[in-house]
Amino acid sequence: MSGNPQQLRGRKPGDRRVRIERPQSAYFRHTGPGILTARAKTTEPTTRLGRGMAGVRNVLVGRPLASEQEMEERLPKKKALAIFSSDAISSSAYASEEILRVLVLAGPAAVLLSVEVSLGIVVLLTTVAISYRQVVFAYPQGGGSYSVARANFGQLPSLVAASALLIDYVMTVAVSTSSAVEQITSAIPELAPQAVLIAVAAIALITLGNLRGLREAGNIFALPTYLFVGSALLMIALGAFRVLVLGEGSPPPDPLPGAPSPLQPITLILLLRAFAGGAVALTGTEAIATGVRAFKPPESRNAATTLVIMAGLLGVLFMGMTFLASSYGVVPIDEPVKQTIPAQVAGIVYGANSIGFYLFQAFTALILFLAANTSFNAFPRLSAILAQDGYMPRQLSFRGDRLAYSRGIVALGVIAAALIVLFGGSTHALIPLYAVGVFIDFTISQSGMVKHWLETREPGWRRRMSINAFGCVLTAIVAVVVVLAKAPVSLLVIVLIPVLVTMMLFIHRHYARVASEQEVPSDVVVERSPRRRRVIIPIPGLTRAVEQAITVGRTIADDVTAVHITDDLDEAERVRYQFEHQVPGVRLVLVESPYRQLVGPFVSYVDVMDPDPETLTFVILPEYLVRHWWERYLHNQVAERLRHELIGRPNTVIISLPYRRDH
Amino acid sequence: MPETRTSPAFRRAVLGLNGGPTDSLVVHVACELAKASRADLNAVHVVEVDWRHALTDVIPGCHERASAILDLAETTAERQKVAMTTTLLQARDVGAAIVDEAVAVEADLIILGLPYKKRFGGDFRFGQVVPYVLQNAPMAVWITREPVPAQAEPGRGAR
Repeated sequence: MSGNPQQLRGRKPGDRRVRIERPQSAYFRHTGPGILTARAKTTEPTTRLGRGMAGVRNVLVGRPLASEQEMEERLPKKKALAIFSSDAISSSAYASEEILRVLVLAGPAAVLLSVEVSLGIVVLLTTVAISYRQVVFAYPQGGGSYSVARANFGQLPSLVAASALLIDYVMTVAVSTSSAVEQITSAIPELAPQAVLIAVAAIALITLGNLRGLREAGNIFALPTYLFVGSALLMIALGAFRVLVLGEGSPPPDPLPGAPSPLQPITLILLLRAFAGGAVALTGTEAIATGVRAFKPPESRNAATTLVIMAGLLGVLFMGMTFLASSYGVVPIDEPVKQTIPAQVAGIVYGANSIGFYLFQAFTALILFLAANTSFNAFPRLSAILAQDGYMPRQLSFRGDRLAYSRGIVALGVIAAALIVLFGGSTHALIPLYAVGVFIDFTISQSGMVKHWLETREPGWRRRMSINAFGCVLTAIVAVVVVLAKAPVSLLVIVLIPVLVTMMLFIHRHYARVASEQEVPSDVVVERSPRRRRVIIPIPGLTRAVEQAITVGRTIADDVTAVHITDDLDEAERVRYQFEHQVPGVRLVLVESPYRQLVGPFVSYVDVMDPDPETLTFVILPEYLVRHWWERYLHNQVAERLRHELIGRPNTVIISLPYRRDH
Repeated sequence: MPETRTSPAFRRAVLGLNGGPTDSLVVHVACELAKASRADLNAVHVVEVDWRHALTDVIPGCHERASAILDLAETTAERQKVAMTTTLLQARDVGAAIVDEAVAVEADLIILGLPYKKRFGGDFRFGQVVPYVLQNAPMAVWITREPVPAQAEPGRGAR
């Protein structure tokens, strides 16, 4: 256990003490009776190449964090708001536009209805937010809709909810990144040919930021979120003052070229389509409920407070933007140069080409980029919960060096980047797939909460259940409208959900089968096996590696046989002579191989000689431990082939025994 | 009115740990004080070797227990973000080894725990280590006393 003792003299004659070295203390720490905790040194690479790679990784991702540092990585509300809300808050930048794009088709007067439609969406947002606030307290382990559905409806609906969410998280990354790149290429058209490259690079950067861990991601993403919120709130306050107090405003705009007659009646379908278009504002609302465990304690309370603040901010920004657009008679302009609603409103309030206008535009582009970040937190957490429940590969539940779910983060980055490449970075092509899953998810979650209240009947359950039931009906209608309004592309999501569910069920069945095979019944006591043991060692001759294999073999069983396969009988006789003189007590079998094969005759020997099913056979493969990568091609080729042939053979244990030159 | 509650600053302290109930107290107190003065701590555990063994002998079972004692102290210090080194010694006389180690590492303070024995009416177990260190250490010595059960309960005993 300890190193060489070092004797030291004391101050008084005769006083002696010995300092005991504890070399193991650098690697392990005792944390309880019979419990050792590995320290960082155990994971440090030992080769030069490994150290170099680790150095690069430390620069890019940061130094590894211990599990006990998880609490330090948890998020305070201010950072959590930035991390989990960038998607929802950023949608205020385009949700108003989606409403106006539909309403303007019914003529200028219809644009005035945008405020009423927005109010309807704010009611929906409030309902959903209240529902998820209840989810956060009822299911503090996180997982959002998946947890609610799993607890109340069981396997299948929960997997539908999870699949819908996973699809939407991927779409959020793809859509928001491509949209942000479009903002950049609108300002600098020379960059348009590199749009896909810019989008992929942006996703890579966001992936890297998230791999550095929650807290650092919070540091990176907090400032842009608050700058956007601040500048947007200031714009709304100034605009509202000018409209309400100073009486500014404009008459309804002229109809767009090619639009139907201004006198066309506003149909219910059109209003519903406008409502469905504006409902994209709600994407990302559920992210906080998925990531409750990322919050500092008390997790549920902090998550609930953050959710309320997020919904409040989103409601104010969205409503304010629609109100100002409606008051100033602003409609989306696509030609000759695309002018978004926020850009036009900012131009009126801050003044076109003013510093305020450019700053607001810059902050808007930045928040759109960072909207992807919400998914980078929610997707890996949901994947980890699914993996823990056995519906996704287990690797997704392992946390990386920085306590982030690295594999989920990388998976999301890769899938989203692939989608962008596949769709040529076009937001227009991607958007019909967006927001479909979220409303399916909201509906499942709220119906689950209805069942939850019916079963628990906690104080105030009737009021709470009414809110969830109202929300459930509302989101179900919106889900249908969104699917129909965005058909036929949206139907791809409807197909993709069952595919994902089937895949998850397949994975779950596999894990369940393996667990059942591997289970040791509680009444089984593992005792020393009474079975006979024999050791067989394939040898090329008498070498140091063979000598080591025989020594090890003798510790396993008394019955040790060395098998020499050869097509050269003279050489075989020399080996026999060596064995008789130098390795007494070990049986040597010489197998002549007239077809010059080594592997086949040896495997057959193991199979047919002494094929007692009660005998446990240990095959020791002596190997030469190479020092350089190129030596691998010069050694151990036969051992490798033997291992490949024997692996899985019943009642057989294969032991690879490397021999080091310096032994 | 002069300030009387300020703890004297120290640069390096040796903590004598014996695996008893006062270890946790000693480490916590030392960490709190070390944080204020950014001092270094050196936790020392001495395995007492009797005359049946040579001083350099490996005493079966002792080193694992000793490592556990020192590792626990190190973990506590790490959590409190205080620098701590650990030293495992074997000696005939525990008190002398602690004092000699403190001199060797140029410590200006030794902190020891004083357990309280509940049996037979209760008393502090001074043993031989505490008196030796108090009499022979050339640096300051602090004794952290285990709370007396009667005094710890509010409303009973002297306060």
